[in-house]
Amino acid sequence: MWKKGLAVMLAAGLAAMSLSGCGDAVANGGKEKVRLMVWSPSEDQSKDSGEWLQTNCEAFAEEHPQWDITFVYGVADEASAAGQVAQDPEASADVFMFANDTLTTLTDADGLTKFGGKYREEIESENSQQVLDSLTMDGELYGVPFTTNTWFMYYDKSVFSEEDVKSLDTMLEKGVVSFPFANSWYLPAFYIGNGCTLFGDGTDESKGVDFGGQKAVDVTNYLIDLEANPNFKIDQDGSGLAGLRDGSINAIFSGSWDANAVQEALGENMGVAALPAYTLNGEEHQMMAYAGSKAIGVNPNSDNMVAAVELAVYLGSAKAQELHYDLRSVIPCNETLLENGDLATDPLVQAQTRTFNETSVLQPFVSQMNNCWTPVENMGKGIRNGSVTHENAKEQTEAMNDAMNSDGI
Amino acid sequence: MAGQKVYSAKRKRFINNSIVHVILAVLAAIWVFPIIWVVLTSFRAEKGSYVSTFFPQSYTLDNYIRLFTDTTILNFPKMFTNTLFIAVCSCIISTFYVLAVSYCLSRMKFKLRKPYMNMAMVLGLFPGFMSMVAVYFILKALGLTEGNLIRLALILCYSGGAGLSFQIAKGFFDTIPTAIDEAALLDGCTRWQIFTKVTLPLSKPIIVYTVLTSFMAPWLDFIFAKVICRANSDQYTIAIGLWKMLEKEYIDSWYTCFAAGAVLISIPIAALFLFMQRYYVDGMSGAVKG
Repeated sequence: MWKKGLAVMLAAGLAAMSLSGCGDAVANGGKEKVRLMVWSPSEDQSKDSGEWLQTNCEAFAEEHPQWDITFVYGVADEASAAGQVAQDPEASADVFMFANDTLTTLTDADGLTKFGGKYREEIESENSQQVLDSLTMDGELYGVPFTTNTWFMYYDKSVFSEEDVKSLDTMLEKGVVSFPFANSWYLPAFYIGNGCTLFGDGTDESKGVDFGGQKAVDVTNYLIDLEANPNFKIDQDGSGLAGLRDGSINAIFSGSWDANAVQEALGENMGVAALPAYTLNGEEHQMMAYAGSKAIGVNPNSDNMVAAVELAVYLGSAKAQELHYDLRSVIPCNETLLENGDLATDPLVQAQTRTFNETSVLQPFVSQMNNCWTPVENMGKGIRNGSVTHENAKEQTEAMNDAMNSDGI
Repeated sequence: MAGQKVYSAKRKRFINNSIVHVILAVLAAIWVFPIIWVVLTSFRAEKGSYVSTFFPQSYTLDNYIRLFTDTTILNFPKMFTNTLFIAVCSCIISTFYVLAVSYCLSRMKFKLRKPYMNMAMVLGLFPGFMSMVAVYFILKALGLTEGNLIRLALILCYSGGAGLSFQIAKGFFDTIPTAIDEAALLDGCTRWQIFTKVTLPLSKPIIVYTVLTSFMAPWLDFIFAKVICRANSDQYTIAIGLWKMLEKEYIDSWYTCFAAGAVLISIPIAALFLFMQRYYVDGMSGAVKG
């Protein structure tokens, strides 16, 4: 009994303390005091890469003299921000960056504001439809996109010509190609290339996954042969990059985050290209990557909604994207920016943009997508260790399709 | 005949010993293998997370130097001092808690003694991280989840539950004869004096054990630090830092530094152990004299 009383007292005390934690913004010399917490990856705040975030936030403050803004910076990269915000939206940043595949995590936790009115118009006028689609759910726009997120191909120019890199089969004859076979972010490229679909156009949960039938079995058979090809190496635990360094591998599939490492390994011979096509039953099929975007989101629990939304739009503006590219090689997605100047000639930007526009599908972010990762990974592993063979390819493919369509546990 | 017998017994022992030693050597090699590999990787000059050779092709100290100089993205020195501070504080606090609680439960008879021990037993059955989210919200309500107070929050987390893990120390105290306590009592000692002047000097091995375990828990913990630090990168502990180094964006350039960091975090634990291990031997020797 006594212990219970203590617990009640403690709880009451805590409640009182949490209430007293709230304070009001005080007007000061005609300026409204605003406190904005901003989260970004640590590179955006580091001195070595030019303090992109601080520079932009200060410029934003100067443009808005009506607010006396105090910025509080925190570190959360785009992939993990959703987890952090979902843990406690009230104590999270007002403005943060997130990867679009975490959209449902954020909306489920009530951690993401919808953009509307003039802000939405501004964002829509600057970005391609596909980028916007990656941040739109049920007709509502949930973020300010600042870069696209996908993977493409790095290759050694001394081994492959620009013509060679259009076909995976030609490449395999001329050099060694490495592909992250047991990684389910990459492997579906072959299946989608042969007409397999995920949730209709990626947004219709009721349509389910179509990774079955003869078209998928053909791909499985192709992959079994591919894995057996002596010029094909499975990329795992960084073996692809290591191979580029010592010359034993001539092409890998990865994203912009590896650009500097590839540059270092290949130097002058670094080539970047969108995904190649592969030949199946005599027909060419284009590999299709998953594509997404990274965006700036606003916390609906923010005390200074207007300032937070304005800041998010500012951080996603063409000017900020250009600086992001200059300082950290973050590839912009603003359409006018992509057509002009240095950006239009940078092969990395071109490869990523071409992949995003032409050789990719929007990575679905419906919640059933969560069931789709492990079965594909297991298929890749099964082919690698020989448990998936030409004899059982059909059953194994159907089993993968069933697993992707079931709720698992 | 007799000579022959002695010879064969010797020979048999030699063969037996050889087999045992070979097995032990193989086991030792398997056991030490990953550690050697981490140490070698920490001195590796080639970049990247994947290498085709076991021994590095060239050696360098740069990985260690980079850990302490390249601090703009992952501030290792700061994480190291953060963690050291937290670990030392919680080590002192929880060692005291554990020993004090164990002593009380071993020597004093009071009404709540049995219920307390049962409760501790039941609570001990639940893993600590089960209450993680609740702990986070309580700390947030107390205002301890921002700025430097995060360190205090972590110290509270790591030392708060110490009073429940008394079982081993209590068992040890139970083996010290109460006659010694009574003698000290007759000589005019207070309870506190008995605890500090009689019991503790006799229990060095268990103190060493308690200090080591209560230092290692906060030193190696990841999950509480991750939940409580969230986006406050200046409060990160080394466990979070090392984990960050293995993320997609960093792994290629930070992998060898990760190995260097892994070697460095073992130093405080090793130092503490080397310093304390001689007390293991002391222990009860010469405890009770006539």
